[in-house]
Amino acid sequence: MRKVIEGSHAVAEGARLARAQVISAYPITPQTHIVERLSEFCADGTLDARFLRVESEHSALAALIGAASTGVRTFTATSSQGLALMHELLHWASGARLPVVMANVNRALAPGWNIWADQTDSLAQRDTGWIQLYCEDSQEVLDTTLQAYRLAEWVYLPVMVILDAFFLSHTYEPVDIPDQESVDRFLPPFQPRFHLDPESPCTFGQMSPPGVYMEMRRSIQDAMEDALLAFADVEEEFSRVHGRRYGPVEAVHCDDARVILVTSGTVTSTSRQVIAELRARGEKVGLLKVKLFRPFPVESIRTALGRAQKVAVIDRNFSFGASGIFAQEIRAALCNLPGHPTVFGYVAGLGGRDVTTAIIEEIYIRTRDAEAPQGESLWVGLQEVKHAP
Amino acid sequence: MSSERRERPPTSLFISRSYLSTESNKTGSWRFLRPRYEEKTAPCSVACPAGEDIGRIEMLTAEGRFHEAWETVLRENPFPGICGRVCYHPCEHVCNRGEFDEPVAVHILERFLADAAARFELKPSIERRTPRTEKIAVVGSGPSGLAAAYFLARLGYQAEVFETMPEPGGVLRWGIPPYRLPLSVLNQELTLIRELGVRIHCDREVSPESLGATGSGYDALVLGCGHSRSLDLKIPGENLKGVEDGLRFLGRIRRGETPALQGTVAVIGGGNTAMDVARSAARLGARSVVIYRRRRQDMPAFAEEVEMALAEGVEIHELETPVAIRRRGGRLGVTIQAMRVAGEDSRGRARVEPASGKTREMEVERLFLAVGATTVAEWQDPPPQGRGVLSLCNSLLVHEPGHPVLVFGGDLVAETKSVVHAVASGKEAAMALDRLFRDGLEAVRPGLQACLVGGGPSLSMEMYLNGPRSSRNHRIVQYDDLNTDHFRFAPRIVEPRLLRQERLRSFAEIVLRIGANVAIREAERCFNCGLCNDCDNCQLFCPDLAVICDRKAGSRSINYDYCKGCGLCVVECPRNAMVLEEEAPCARS
Repeated sequence: MRKVIEGSHAVAEGARLARAQVISAYPITPQTHIVERLSEFCADGTLDARFLRVESEHSALAALIGAASTGVRTFTATSSQGLALMHELLHWASGARLPVVMANVNRALAPGWNIWADQTDSLAQRDTGWIQLYCEDSQEVLDTTLQAYRLAEWVYLPVMVILDAFFLSHTYEPVDIPDQESVDRFLPPFQPRFHLDPESPCTFGQMSPPGVYMEMRRSIQDAMEDALLAFADVEEEFSRVHGRRYGPVEAVHCDDARVILVTSGTVTSTSRQVIAELRARGEKVGLLKVKLFRPFPVESIRTALGRAQKVAVIDRNFSFGASGIFAQEIRAALCNLPGHPTVFGYVAGLGGRDVTTAIIEEIYIRTRDAEAPQGESLWVGLQEVKHAP
Repeated sequence: MSSERRERPPTSLFISRSYLSTESNKTGSWRFLRPRYEEKTAPCSVACPAGEDIGRIEMLTAEGRFHEAWETVLRENPFPGICGRVCYHPCEHVCNRGEFDEPVAVHILERFLADAAARFELKPSIERRTPRTEKIAVVGSGPSGLAAAYFLARLGYQAEVFETMPEPGGVLRWGIPPYRLPLSVLNQELTLIRELGVRIHCDREVSPESLGATGSGYDALVLGCGHSRSLDLKIPGENLKGVEDGLRFLGRIRRGETPALQGTVAVIGGGNTAMDVARSAARLGARSVVIYRRRRQDMPAFAEEVEMALAEGVEIHELETPVAIRRRGGRLGVTIQAMRVAGEDSRGRARVEPASGKTREMEVERLFLAVGATTVAEWQDPPPQGRGVLSLCNSLLVHEPGHPVLVFGGDLVAETKSVVHAVASGKEAAMALDRLFRDGLEAVRPGLQACLVGGGPSLSMEMYLNGPRSSRNHRIVQYDDLNTDHFRFAPRIVEPRLLRQERLRSFAEIVLRIGANVAIREAERCFNCGLCNDCDNCQLFCPDLAVICDRKAGSRSINYDYCKGCGLCVVECPRNAMVLEEEAPCARS
């Protein structure tokens, strides 16, 4: 059924259709609408799930780790400071190989206090062993939430579904909400390979000395590598049932492009318009949308970007002392490719600042006309400021 | 195509998991604090002069165990139906729930239990001691005498009650109007006392001499004859026709007389009798005016009675007193002297004196005196302190070798004259005599001390009989001792009452019945301070699975082999029924 709904509610619909059994969350703007809607589903019986109210995001994830250990389907949502507070337990969830699904609404970290879109919160958690999927619109948010469960339960790793604050979380768009029956076909009940069973008690996560720890870590990496293949399978099945697929990356006009823009999240939508206009003017420009960030789809990226002369990565995030994080990853993916394109890094739109068509076009022109990058990251649209004495 | 893909080998899954038991690691050795189950004392039970185990009564009521709840009242008070109606419920004034939202409506629930028992003709099965040979006479069948006989019978004694009036009940029958206490309720609870084997002899004028002279050799006399002789005003004209004793007036109404009244009726006094006379007169058609010499807040009448009187249209003139009464045609002319406040006494009551030159005349049809009452004979007055005189919390015991033991109870000794205080004195009299007959005079005080609720002065018969209540700590649970995170706000039940207009039409009972579902909901509001209600939060919150619950036995214990003493169970106990103590350095398990 096609309905005009808020991005947050697209997430909630996804968790509902996935038949999440235990939900726990702590409210934080701009995530709150997601769990608010889910709590309503629980209250009115639309969703048969336990909704656990907790006193912090740390506890929210801790509760889900306990719940997921028993083999049930779990869901939480958070943002920014909340995700940062979960940090310790993000490692725990992946180390314990629990298929928790979480929505993270990308929001800037404080101080200064800022509730608007910025990817640094989730990208700062890239080493925690979570699969990360960045979404462009509300339909993708809903579909990705469903895919996330399939993927998580396949490779026994937690999955983060990521969407931009306000641009996505609070924007109303038409969304095709699949019926329960078709979702059930795509996502049958979870049959866990291990679970906490009082009839056969065991300890999870006990002391793991040097003799075994390394193998456990390797097992997580194997699962991550498996997730790349599994994601393709999940998408294949999803498209058979629901007729939509997104790919770990999406290449637009990359085959003959000299300059390719690399984007993620909602900046992608704006960029689609820009490159369409540039193409109409005869510019050899392409666009690569990165959806799957962990595991990082290196081969797909090399294939898409390998023939271009220049790549311009737009980062709505920053790693202090280094550069935009997507730019780092793209450079790393390309550096061992003979004759790889030059990578230009651009930082734009931090803390919710608009990344307009004009900015994207400026980024393209600068890249096209430059001999070589002027540095690791070029900050676009910076204003003069008065510094503290 | 996808089905082929699914045949790929399952994902690598090498996790840390062990099936070895961790029980070999007795983590209890880490403990330096030890939690322990320990029930404590609820403030309501201390404030109740009868020491009723209110927290437990409400717990049982909330579980729908009305019979047991009713029996739990009867352990401490033979009059749940009466006290549920007429008690001024000091328990509710100290209810910890009052700090949360509103106090639990204890009196409404008490009455509900008695009404339910009457309706279903329940019979209590309450512990009784083996019979003893001592015989005890009880003088007066008011609440203190009846309570004494009831508790004496439960302690195994033959108790006989002597009553001068033709029917038993004392003030319950003759002093409290039916709109507060219907006769059927009194009769119901009298039946329960009679069924214990208590014999009540009515129309029997008695004195210590006449009882001694019967030759049947009573070992003790409990005096619960109350104050039934009204005090005089000592002003000119108080013996005129049209001036009547208020208590006598209430007695006449109980006998079924309904003298039609008209015009203005003055009631002199500020006690509960004055309120009942004024309200009864209003029901008989009069405009009732209460004249009281101090301020309204100084009235000995219970605040709720005053409020009900005002609601029924009774007028209260404070700081006034009559100084002379004359016949004026068919009516009475009353000279009223205005009073003024001249300081306060130690209890905060106004000291008053006449305001010179300020008098007024008032014409009334009738005038009722209700300025207090006293004993009818001198031998009923308790003796001053002296040899063999033991002044207890709620009674006074006189032990003279060669004579029957005398215990003065009820209004003869009570500072606050209320039904529940009378019950308390009757209970104390029974305990004191039992201790005296078993272990001698010296054992009386320590014997009673051991069954004080909290710090007293309320006494518990269950504790006297070494019932489960004896194991509780005397510490009184304060609001801050509770974990109110586990409670939800819920409004207190509203007492259903007759409409004001309906009340004035008859002597029908004002307060109406409540249903069982409403009673359960109200009882669920009770925090059960200091008592375990099997909520099992302790087990739920224990991170070490060291709380062992025996669901069949309804009991729980702590496995100290693994309890690390984190104290979570104690903190999460909503009712403060646990305690955390420092381990003795050398006594770790």
